[in-house]
Amino acid sequence: MNQAFRKKIKRNDRIARWVITVGGMAIIFSVIFILVLIAKVSLPLFLPPDAELHASTRMPRVENIRAVGMDEYLETGYVIDASGTIRFFNVKDGAPLDQELLSGAGGNRSLLAVETYGRLNHVLRWSDGSLTIDQVKFRPYFDAENDNRRSILHRVESLASFPVPATGPGVQTLARVGGEGRQVRIDLYSDNRLLVQLIEVSENFLGEEEVTEAEHQLAFDTAGDVSALVLSSDGTRLYAGTKQGELLRWDLSDSEEPTLLEKIQAFADRREITVLNLVYGDVSLAVGDSTGQVTTWFPVRDDSGVWKLTRIHDLSRHSAPVAAISPSPRDKSVISFSSEGLLVDHMTSERSLLSLGRKDRLQLYSMTTRGNAIMGLTDDGRLQSWKLEIPHPEVSLGTLFGKVWYEGYDEPVYAWQSSAATDDYEPKLSLTPLIFGTLKGTFYAMLLAVPLAIFGAIYTSQFARPRLRALIKPAVEVMAAIPTVIIGFLAALWLAPLIERSLGSLFLSLVLVPAALMISILAWQGARKIEPLRRLERGFEFLAVAPVVILAMAIAAGLGPGLEQTFFAGDLKQWLFTEMGTRYDPRNCIIIAFAMGFAVIPIVFTIAEDSLSNVPSSLKAASLALGASRWQTVWRVILPSASPGIFAGTMIGFGRAVGETMIVLMATGNTAIMDLSIFNGMRPLSANIAVEIPEAPVDGSLYRTLFLSAVILFVMTFIVNTVAEIVRQRLRAKYGRF
Amino acid sequence: MSKRPSKEMNKYWRVGEPMVWLSGAALTLTLLSAVTLLVVIVMNGLGVFWPSNIEQVKLTDGTAVYGQFVRSEETADGSGLRHQYKIANRDLYGLDFRWIDQTDIASTGHPRDLIVLERSEHGDFYGTLQQLFTVAGNSVAATFDNLQQQLSAAKHDLELLSELEKKLNDASYEMEQMRLTLLKFDYEGVPAGALERQELEQRKSELDARFADLIELQTRRVDDARKAKAVFADAGGRGKEVVLLDIVQAYTPNTMSTTDKVIFYGGKLVELVAGEPRESNTEGGLFPAIFGTVMLIFVMSLFSFPFGVIAAIYLREYAKEGPLVRIVRIAVNNLAGIPSIVYGIFGLGFFVYGIGHSIDALFFPERLPTPTFGTGGLLWASLTLALLTVPVVIVSTEEALGAIPREMREGSYALGATKFQTLYRVLLPMASPGIMTGLILAMARAAGEVAPLMITGVVKLAPALPIDGNFPFVHLDRKFMHLGFHIYDIGFQSPNVEAAKPMVFVTTLLLVLIVLLMSSVAIRLRNKMKKRYTFGTF
Repeated sequence: MNQAFRKKIKRNDRIARWVITVGGMAIIFSVIFILVLIAKVSLPLFLPPDAELHASTRMPRVENIRAVGMDEYLETGYVIDASGTIRFFNVKDGAPLDQELLSGAGGNRSLLAVETYGRLNHVLRWSDGSLTIDQVKFRPYFDAENDNRRSILHRVESLASFPVPATGPGVQTLARVGGEGRQVRIDLYSDNRLLVQLIEVSENFLGEEEVTEAEHQLAFDTAGDVSALVLSSDGTRLYAGTKQGELLRWDLSDSEEPTLLEKIQAFADRREITVLNLVYGDVSLAVGDSTGQVTTWFPVRDDSGVWKLTRIHDLSRHSAPVAAISPSPRDKSVISFSSEGLLVDHMTSERSLLSLGRKDRLQLYSMTTRGNAIMGLTDDGRLQSWKLEIPHPEVSLGTLFGKVWYEGYDEPVYAWQSSAATDDYEPKLSLTPLIFGTLKGTFYAMLLAVPLAIFGAIYTSQFARPRLRALIKPAVEVMAAIPTVIIGFLAALWLAPLIERSLGSLFLSLVLVPAALMISILAWQGARKIEPLRRLERGFEFLAVAPVVILAMAIAAGLGPGLEQTFFAGDLKQWLFTEMGTRYDPRNCIIIAFAMGFAVIPIVFTIAEDSLSNVPSSLKAASLALGASRWQTVWRVILPSASPGIFAGTMIGFGRAVGETMIVLMATGNTAIMDLSIFNGMRPLSANIAVEIPEAPVDGSLYRTLFLSAVILFVMTFIVNTVAEIVRQRLRAKYGRF
Repeated sequence: MSKRPSKEMNKYWRVGEPMVWLSGAALTLTLLSAVTLLVVIVMNGLGVFWPSNIEQVKLTDGTAVYGQFVRSEETADGSGLRHQYKIANRDLYGLDFRWIDQTDIASTGHPRDLIVLERSEHGDFYGTLQQLFTVAGNSVAATFDNLQQQLSAAKHDLELLSELEKKLNDASYEMEQMRLTLLKFDYEGVPAGALERQELEQRKSELDARFADLIELQTRRVDDARKAKAVFADAGGRGKEVVLLDIVQAYTPNTMSTTDKVIFYGGKLVELVAGEPRESNTEGGLFPAIFGTVMLIFVMSLFSFPFGVIAAIYLREYAKEGPLVRIVRIAVNNLAGIPSIVYGIFGLGFFVYGIGHSIDALFFPERLPTPTFGTGGLLWASLTLALLTVPVVIVSTEEALGAIPREMREGSYALGATKFQTLYRVLLPMASPGIMTGLILAMARAAGEVAPLMITGVVKLAPALPIDGNFPFVHLDRKFMHLGFHIYDIGFQSPNVEAAKPMVFVTTLLLVLIVLLMSSVAIRLRNKMKKRYTFGTF
């Protein structure tokens, strides 16, 4: 052997060692690492929100500022001063852009106060008692000539104007413009009177515009003076709070007849309600009180069917009375303001998101229409803007796993309903019903699969003839390879209608098959005395039993309809509904038990069979030699030795059932209900991912929640698989075989 | 005497003999359910293409229908039987199936002049031939032979037309490529007057002209060819004009001999494997789905096979046995049990939205926001499946290497071979059946897996195959079709589930055959190996 050749071999060996070691380790760690990445996607759900100071500038020579605002690109801001002038400026450096006089300004009128609602709609209250509503609109503009540079265009649109009522202006006023030509003005007088002015523009059947005007004095009787008022943005519902902690609710939708719906003592300690506002969507009422507490309320139907305002969520607590509350125009977040600064909370998750301007002594504030920034005016005249990073305010551990009282529900519930037709919808992202569905489906499947698989494995490994065993084992292994999409399809389109048609027969066969087996075993007592038949006993029992089982099932199928006719008035499903109150879904847990059980049996069977047949035969021989029967040997000697393997098989089967997707997707009906009934379907985690992920916006809350549910699935299967794997490795070490 | 049997009985119970029988019954139930599944699939799948006789059912109210008998069941009130017939003619009746009560049937017969048309739209048509017109518009004698003659002429026309269509497709592909190049020029800031831009625009306008010519030619040819028509009458005598071009096949089941039917059946099977799907996948062939499945398995194997084998060799031959390796081994075994949907969502998040978006941003920025690799496609689906099947390959390769007796290695070393030489010349050849087993099992799993594909790029109808004659010939960014998804899609998303059922069963049968074949080969291989060097598998 020459030197060069030897060198070459050695070099090759070193290269191979290096490549294989690096490659192998890289592959193994990347496979594990990428699964960690899934968790990384869902992690931002729980990141704390963040606010970053964007700019702090000063508008020179502007005093008596009544309102501030900003566009959602954080470029153009504006202030409205007491003269009724709106001045736009550059947010970053405070450079003035342009200014204009608002439509209501003029004469010697000055602007007293501004209330903001919706998308930068400003209700302006003038010194003569008149009200105007102006909306500031921003629009991005891309300049095609100048390399598509973006600039923000702005304009002010006058929406409505309300004259002074005949009785003079009230101490507190409100106004709203609804979508369908409906204008409402409310005046509160110091003697606790409320005046409602309604203007409705409607089209009659000739297509002409008709204007109806109405004026109402609202009569009510409260212990304390009205201290806070709010009107829904379409002007149909009016809420009031009093100094004695009472809440009142009116329905103004009928312009002829406003009705007081209810009056409740909201707080038993009669604390003053200082401010009211409506959360985005106009369903929930946010209440701020003199103790600094912010709560949200909405009407819930009580036992007698009456809608009553109910305290639903308790949000943050200020240490000073709440001075203002405003909703986020984007989601169910609530901004509350006191002399202590701003607090941002999310209503559904009750998460306290941010605390801003504690040191800055804010006077005014406003949120952008996209909810991504807040601008505030400090008492030394600085215009401060914060950029908000609140990626997933609606998600908290409470909303993911706990009961939440959603808008429009009678009580707190676990619910999964990720999207709806409207923007102001409250997403319901509780994973509890999905986890419940997963466990429920798995439970019923295991209930069927585990006994069949383990007893089948015992029989195959211990009693069947070796020649038959060599056939049965591969047959069951091939069964494991049948794609689950096929099992699911057959379960949903073949088995489900079959079981629905013959539910009576199914239950009858549950009784008849064991009974037939028992009878045949007894009958065998006589037959086994005949010598040729006796040979059946040794290793062919399962074939001898087959006709009995088939016959029993055939009898059950034949008698089923008659049974339903006699005892259940012809229809078992109907009977279940009327007598037991159980609804029968065509795609239910019976189907799942059969289909998923079918998918799980081969897995449990194979592993259990392996561990049973790997028990050293010396144990078996010793037991038989001591006079134990073959069943006693199996039950007392072999089964205990093999039990870790059987346990491992069951665990792995469990992991498989938990993660199974196609069968449950096709055969469960996919409704996220929490009901243990075997006649209902469910919605498991896996099917939920498959159904929802194609529509989930990338990096949105739903997207990350679905990744989180994948992590949960991963963890569930990882734990059971690891336990099973450790048990198997120990077993291997014990019997010294691989 | 009377005591002895009961004593024997007691003993029989005590030694647990009934329990043996019961465990046997558990095995029986398991095997029975598997057999039932296969029987249901085979029974429903095999019969789909058999040209059964069509009955003419005359009803007591004087009307008549042509129908293929499907099944009978008792009526709801238990007064008698009712029969389900497939009556076809969806465009005339709206429904494909009809239940007829036994009591309403006056007589049945098998008319010999009845013709079944397979049409490219609206499903089958059952009827009798009334009139026949050639392409030139002449009426010819309405016989079945003439019809077949005219149909073969129409088929010839159709071939010409499809050639034309292929040219059109190529031209439109070329146009699309030019559009993308132009976009690239825009993006790169190539000035309007630049030479390459002018050249491209020149070529584009030539192509546009050619395209317009082709379109016109096609329209003319189609109009001409569509003049060949036939008028058929249904059982009630209602006439229906059918353009011959729309007829895929015509046959007369009631006069066909068994041999004819077998030949017909064979033809249908060929169409199933080689044909294109029709009528939102509920008729026609499965070629694109089969092709997509094969392609997916192939690309997946390219990744999972080498990587899995290298990882297993490392674990078994190179890594030092210790707690770390044990943990890694547990983790790898574990990965095989992770739900496939978790891999799917990972593939979506990491491959499609992560790597795919980066590739788009780096290499195809001019096409954005239209994604190229930033959306589901064959490559991402294959990679996801490769990840899913790598543990299977690792585990079985490791087992195969572990099963080789130590003496083999020692013998090789004793003869002076290096570690790599031992691996390459001794161990790998000996372990090859085990490695093959792993690969085949992985492939079988990939063929049957649907959930991860649904979110990484499978579609119900792909416009083009992942391989075609256009540069660069292999398009891994394209969406594809898959047999397993095909079953889910036509079984659950199809507007007419009842009419789609036969096709679902056929697809199921095909998929079951493929998967069972693959896994039984794998199991045979493994058992062979087991016999060579006995080892346990738990």
